[in-house]
Amino acid sequence: MVRTDGRDIDLSLGVLSGEGSHQHVESVDERIKQIEPKPWGQMPTLSQHDPTYYDRPMLKEPVWKIDIPVYYFLGGAAGAALALGAAAQLLGDKGLQKFGRNCHIIGIIGSTVGGGLLIHDLGRPERFLNMMRVFRPTSPMNVGAWILSGAAPLAIAAGLFSNRPGMWGWIGSAAGYGAGVFGLALAGYTGVLISNTAIPIYQQVRRLMPVLFLSSAAASAASILDIVFEDPRAHRITLIFGTAGRLAELATGFAIEREAGKVEQVARPLKTGVSGALWRTAEVLTVASLVLAVVPGKSTARRKWAGVFGALGSLALRLAVHYAGAASARDPRASFRQQRAGFGAAELGNG
Amino acid sequence: MGAKGFFTDTTICIGCKACEVACKQWNQLPDDGFALSGMSYDNTVALGASTWRHVAFIERPVPLSNQIADGFSWIFSSDVCKHCARAGCLESCPTGAIVRTEFDSVFVQSDICNGCGYCVVNCPFGVIDRREDDGRAWKCTLCYDRLKEDMTPACAKACPTASIQFGDLDELRQRAHQRVDHLHELGMNEAYLYGADKESQPGTEGLNAFFLLVDKPEVYNLPPDPVAPAKKVKESWISMGLAALGVAAVAFGAVLAAREGNGHG
Repeated sequence: MVRTDGRDIDLSLGVLSGEGSHQHVESVDERIKQIEPKPWGQMPTLSQHDPTYYDRPMLKEPVWKIDIPVYYFLGGAAGAALALGAAAQLLGDKGLQKFGRNCHIIGIIGSTVGGGLLIHDLGRPERFLNMMRVFRPTSPMNVGAWILSGAAPLAIAAGLFSNRPGMWGWIGSAAGYGAGVFGLALAGYTGVLISNTAIPIYQQVRRLMPVLFLSSAAASAASILDIVFEDPRAHRITLIFGTAGRLAELATGFAIEREAGKVEQVARPLKTGVSGALWRTAEVLTVASLVLAVVPGKSTARRKWAGVFGALGSLALRLAVHYAGAASARDPRASFRQQRAGFGAAELGNG
Repeated sequence: MGAKGFFTDTTICIGCKACEVACKQWNQLPDDGFALSGMSYDNTVALGASTWRHVAFIERPVPLSNQIADGFSWIFSSDVCKHCARAGCLESCPTGAIVRTEFDSVFVQSDICNGCGYCVVNCPFGVIDRREDDGRAWKCTLCYDRLKEDMTPACAKACPTASIQFGDLDELRQRAHQRVDHLHELGMNEAYLYGADKESQPGTEGLNAFFLLVDKPEVYNLPPDPVAPAKKVKESWISMGLAALGVAAVAFGAVLAAREGNGHG
């Protein structure tokens, strides 16, 4: 039998032992098929001052699917909720026990569903445990795998055992404090993870991305708590926490536009295309939720709408970041101009 | 043993693509589909999961400096994984699937890779890729299996003009510098080495597969000042730490403000 994948090896005569021989092929790589030949004369000319290779991307686009931005959102909300839950455990009175429990519920759902999304996005999901075969501080994804595998079980333990009498209660509180610390890391490490890439826009704003992710996480945790649970004692907490988160989210967003704007080509995904539209949508939704949340009055409906807008704004923001990365990787001029402007290795000072 | 690598001298590349064919054949890589790109003679387009050598065909509206025919030059360059001294893919790999071998090359262990895709965005040259149907990341292995048997990598072996030279890195560097000097003597002053050592490319601390080029790196789809992303990430961890402290402080403040006796909830 002759294989039809280009190897053209008669298996009765040949052996597949090459280093690429186990590459599994079902169809031709879609991205290669996407090339549309252009008529002669319409090929991008090689300009001498601003050249590219036929406008082809220099970098590879991220292979991550929509699971990943949704995980940024869920993991962020879970992490911030766990931090809030730990604060309520430490400083709250008896009346805030229910609030702490609600925080743990969001922490459990967010971290477990988020973990499931991460595994689903792997090219070989059955090998997800390989993440734990090393500890590698140079890889934020590896560090994140350890953070997630600490945060999720701690959140579950805190949810099960908190406020119980005796030793179980003690274990529950300890788990709750641990989950709070791991939760903060869970909400923030994804910002570090994408900053640690060759993608021009992510690398350019690497000092701000973790701040954006953490503030967005705080905003979304408060929003979800407001939507899902009706707990009058908690309103003051979610109002303060959510307002701070939404304000920080907006401020960091503007700072990111400025920082990326240092190289015009790098900032383009924030202004154009799907990512630009999502970025603006996120801003509008966050402003709407901020206004609705701080208007005085005791309307439950208004608070819930503020939560809905806040959560959607946070989700739109993560999607915007996701698509902006893809657009940035597709644009060879973003990398070229960024590095020519001194934001490549030259930034490190020894170049 | 010792550090091995490639020196690709693009001035003597004739664009025959023997390296591409030899690589595909030896490594038993699947095809990429047959499509015409319209990009000169380059129908391979880019390096990828199943393309570990790629010859770039560049049609320039300017002549080379010692060229007789004027107004136009056609130059070729066989691109490959650079096996960087500071490799973004290796440093970012969360499973330890990507390792450095005894030949100083960067090798992906396909039986360990779980296809997280993080190396794909960490390569400053856009070399390594994951294909959808296989689910794992693949790239040039510097023919690890051949090196184990003291053989030359397939592409270098097949190159008819010695544009691709394989050998000990120290010796290759020496040879490359001599070649540049020689080209300068011949009046080809635009010739220079790309990524030959740490001094000329601090972001990657030197490439084990380096190049002799005659135009800006961008013309060949190479970055002018690449950097291993992990070199810059410390600032991200610091700002994450500060922001996390901020979130914790606000959480404590919010809970304190909601306590009994601190006004109404």
